[in-house]
Amino acid sequence: MGHQAAPPDNQVRVRLFAALREQAGWGEREIRLDTGSASAADLWRQLALEAAPPGSTAVDLPPTIRVAINQAFATADTPLRPGDEVAFLPPITGG
Amino acid sequence: MPTPSPKHPIVVQLLEAPFEPLELLAAWQRSLGAAGTAAESHFIGRVRPTTASGEPLEALELEHYPGMSEAQLRALAGACAARHGAGAVLVAHRVGRIAPGEAIVLVAVQADRRGPALRCVQELLEDLKHHAPFWKREWSGGSGTWVAGNTPL
Repeated sequence: MGHQAAPPDNQVRVRLFAALREQAGWGEREIRLDTGSASAADLWRQLALEAAPPGSTAVDLPPTIRVAINQAFATADTPLRPGDEVAFLPPITGG
Repeated sequence: MPTPSPKHPIVVQLLEAPFEPLELLAAWQRSLGAAGTAAESHFIGRVRPTTASGEPLEALELEHYPGMSEAQLRALAGACAARHGAGAVLVAHRVGRIAPGEAIVLVAVQADRRGPALRCVQELLEDLKHHAPFWKREWSGGSGTWVAGNTPL
């Protein structure tokens, strides 16, 4: 259980797509997690891509946005590990 | 997700350039050899010439999540084939900028009977519209609009 494989500073790679990417103005970033045991939902609050409503300090992950961790769908409460690739996916329109 | 067996191959192709669905289909059939199955079902989807709001469409742009999109299409196709007891599956999907009238998606399924072949094609189309990381943007009058949802079945 060593730390040799862990990237420094509790970092994850964040990826945004489509409308979400354009609203944020970026598509891919290395982000250092604020806390040691953060979930994808915690990461979303940390990113603060949207302005918080009055009386609130952070915006929760909207139910329309899906999470993928290391390129597989995951629930928003999945704990993140250093080095994970975390993607926030706006509503899908394929086919 | 079930693991596709060599007997039930899953072929997934993401294409950045225009493709001719019938040529792709013929090549896929040749690759499966002479011993075809009794039933085979196909769907070809093309880009319609108007936007969701009825304006003339210049192009449809398709963004995807490289890596995850291939893996997800493969997993959806394998699961669908297993559910219906179907055999070989082909999924070809365009990405990037696509002109009106061009093919955007081709799905083909082989099975022993028409029911599984037809049902697997329809179900897989719905699956990939909702569970594969693709996003459409309509270009019209020089500006692009992200499509908010899928068209009705």
